[in-house]
Amino acid sequence: MANNDATAAISGQLPIRQNPDVGSFDIVATYHRLLADDPELTMPMATIEALIEALGASSATTVFETMKLVEAQSDRLWQSPLVANPMAVRHGSDFFKQYLVRELRQLPSSTGAASGSGSRNEDQQFEGIRQHLLRNARLFATRAKDAREKIAAEGRYLIPDKSIILTHGGSRVVGTLLGRAVERVNGDPPRRFKVIYVISESRQTESDKAVAALRSKGISVATIPEGGVAHVMSKVDLVFIGAEVITAQGGILSRLGTYQIAKLAKIDGKPCYVAAEQHKLGQTFPVDQFSFNCRGFQQNSLDFSKTTNSGSSGAETEDEKRAVELRSATPLDYTPPDLITTFICDHGVKSTVAMEHQVIDMFVS
Amino acid sequence: MSTATSDPPAEAKPQTSEKPENTPANIAAPPNGDSQTKGENGAPAPAAAPKLTNAQLKAKAKADKQARRAQAKVSKDPAPGGAPAPVSAGQSGHPATESKGNKAKGKPDGAPPAGSGATGRATGARGSVSIIPPKPESSIPECFSHLSMAKRLPITQADKDVHPTVLTLGQQMATFAIDESITRLKATLLAFKKVIDSYTTPPGNTLARHLTPHVLNPQIEYLSACRPMCFSMGNAIRWLKLQVSKIDPDVPDVDAKKQLCASIDAFIQERINFADVVITQKAADCIQNDDVILVYGRNTLVQRTLLHAHLVDGKKFDVIIIDDPYERQGQVLAKTLTAEGVKVSYSGDFGALQYQVKLADRIILGAEGMFSNGALYGRCGTSDLALAAKDFGKQVYALCETINITERVSTDSLTYNEIDPERCSGSSFRLLYDTTPSHCLSTVVTEISSAQPTSVSYLLRKLEDSN
Repeated sequence: MANNDATAAISGQLPIRQNPDVGSFDIVATYHRLLADDPELTMPMATIEALIEALGASSATTVFETMKLVEAQSDRLWQSPLVANPMAVRHGSDFFKQYLVRELRQLPSSTGAASGSGSRNEDQQFEGIRQHLLRNARLFATRAKDAREKIAAEGRYLIPDKSIILTHGGSRVVGTLLGRAVERVNGDPPRRFKVIYVISESRQTESDKAVAALRSKGISVATIPEGGVAHVMSKVDLVFIGAEVITAQGGILSRLGTYQIAKLAKIDGKPCYVAAEQHKLGQTFPVDQFSFNCRGFQQNSLDFSKTTNSGSSGAETEDEKRAVELRSATPLDYTPPDLITTFICDHGVKSTVAMEHQVIDMFVS
Repeated sequence: MSTATSDPPAEAKPQTSEKPENTPANIAAPPNGDSQTKGENGAPAPAAAPKLTNAQLKAKAKADKQARRAQAKVSKDPAPGGAPAPVSAGQSGHPATESKGNKAKGKPDGAPPAGSGATGRATGARGSVSIIPPKPESSIPECFSHLSMAKRLPITQADKDVHPTVLTLGQQMATFAIDESITRLKATLLAFKKVIDSYTTPPGNTLARHLTPHVLNPQIEYLSACRPMCFSMGNAIRWLKLQVSKIDPDVPDVDAKKQLCASIDAFIQERINFADVVITQKAADCIQNDDVILVYGRNTLVQRTLLHAHLVDGKKFDVIIIDDPYERQGQVLAKTLTAEGVKVSYSGDFGALQYQVKLADRIILGAEGMFSNGALYGRCGTSDLALAAKDFGKQVYALCETINITERVSTDSLTYNEIDPERCSGSSFRLLYDTTPSHCLSTVVTEISSAQPTSVSYLLRKLEDSN
């Protein structure tokens, strides 16, 4: 790692501020504003954009300072009690850090770590990268949306003629996929299929919106409650689900209810496809349903009590209470890789093992 | 373990003095006898030396070896009564002197210290070996004949070039004093460092071309004769040979040796010590408060993980230890854990397997090796445990350093295995290892990444790319 050596050398020579000053910049507020402004934005992408804005607000000029800044800001973001899914944030920031490191590696290595002119040269080049990032902050988001279209183009070939597809949740990728599948693309005739949509009572408005969107595209949709999945499974040909996070072993974290749909599909031998963009990949490693192996990520899904209204969440501080409340409002579950048939992602249709290899490729070098 | 390898004579000497009566004449040639033989043969030796070409020397060495082997066979065959000693003693006088003479001719300067060291230790080992009845290898059925077994190889049968440190190490491995794959690997590398340190390139040779065939190979042969090499040793030795071949012939001996020793040190640091730290932390992260962890036997990595989770992370969890009824190493683990205040329940065999797996939240296994199809090569019994865990839908973690991953593939427990030398009779024998298929494991924790077992081959390729 030449960069580490270089930064170490620089930090030896120069008085470096350990905590680059970002003024009054609030990354958590920025993150929420970005998510609210653009409903199409995914959580990892919002993280990356928020980090780029943090870069813009800071006065960091060296590689070392910038990496420190990104580190500190992303830590602040995912540890914030106001963030619903800290794992998605971590995946986004890891992705961004990895991108930065890769860009920095491509810099021509300075002549000798000790020579001042070499490191100054490197800093100038780094400034170029920084400016490029700031100018093209939206590029990440645009690329992410392109990815969605690519997934739609890949996914349509997995839909057999006159099939019945089961789906749930408000996944934008799955919505795009189904919407594109009923269109004629480059002379490829539209797919003929019907959709069974699993309505979630706790998220009635979101479900209604998704169903309305599908129907507006001319797709016939039947709705069933979450309790009816096993009942209708025999009629279903395939299952499409979205994901918030793809974990390092090729499983997914997604809306509560995904796991049981995947499990029921597995029992009935129906293929279960996950449509998700590559940037949702990350190095997290959930152990089981109740420990996602991410510090501070607690959702209070089991609350044993004898009275009907008990508010004991086990959290001590005010912040923790808020975090648990927030996360219990949008609960997630973990679907292990053996329940997933394949992933449809922007680089094609991939097995769970291939996704795992992507993670290894991304973070091991 | 490092102390053991660095200080071999201390261990060997007391044995020598204990069992002088058991030492057959051929090896027992005491220091003064040694000099005597030299004196007797000394006159013809210098005369004969110039006449013998290299090829002749080689042929002679070969014949010598055969003679030694034949003699070994003869001494093994008779029952372990009082007979073998006189037989081997009567037989041995001739080959012993011959080999001594040969040594004097072939390696006038290098051999004597190594040779005398070897004899000193040989007596001790020989003494201990004659207590245990020789294992009749012929009793193993033909279909299992490919399986190898650790042998307490008398040191006299070792090649004359084997370094004393390696000789001791071989004995320690053969007696299972050093048992775990990663410990064996570390000991081997440290011993090889000593070998390289004491090496001088003979004139007219280059280190890169001479060291491996003439010095390293005899050591390796000896070690694998004592006990079949484990996968990590194979991997590391391949790496070491590559490093030797990369040495620039123009580099002086001292620098080359320094360079090799430094890279061995770096290898140990990176692939063993640091890897262990990372794996321990990662695996400890998987343990949650109020968990019940099930482990099998004792494995250093598993023990370190449990201690790390308990002492460093401060997690509260219980441990169930199911022990290998033949090894009883789990008792050591149980004592260590209870001393630190972990609640442990122990069972000596698989009697309550189903019940205990049901109680457990997750199972942590130590791997002796991993095949590239994701199968785990572990202590005999591991696969039974993993299969039961799979039945109950429990998470099974395998802890493995990447150096233990082999590019070979195995789907059964008989392709690669070892026979337990302590339990091998004419009618039955016990295998030391078994192979757990990849579908019984949920996660493999290695130092570079945690992954599904089927991704192990990918990790291996990734490592090769980065090296």
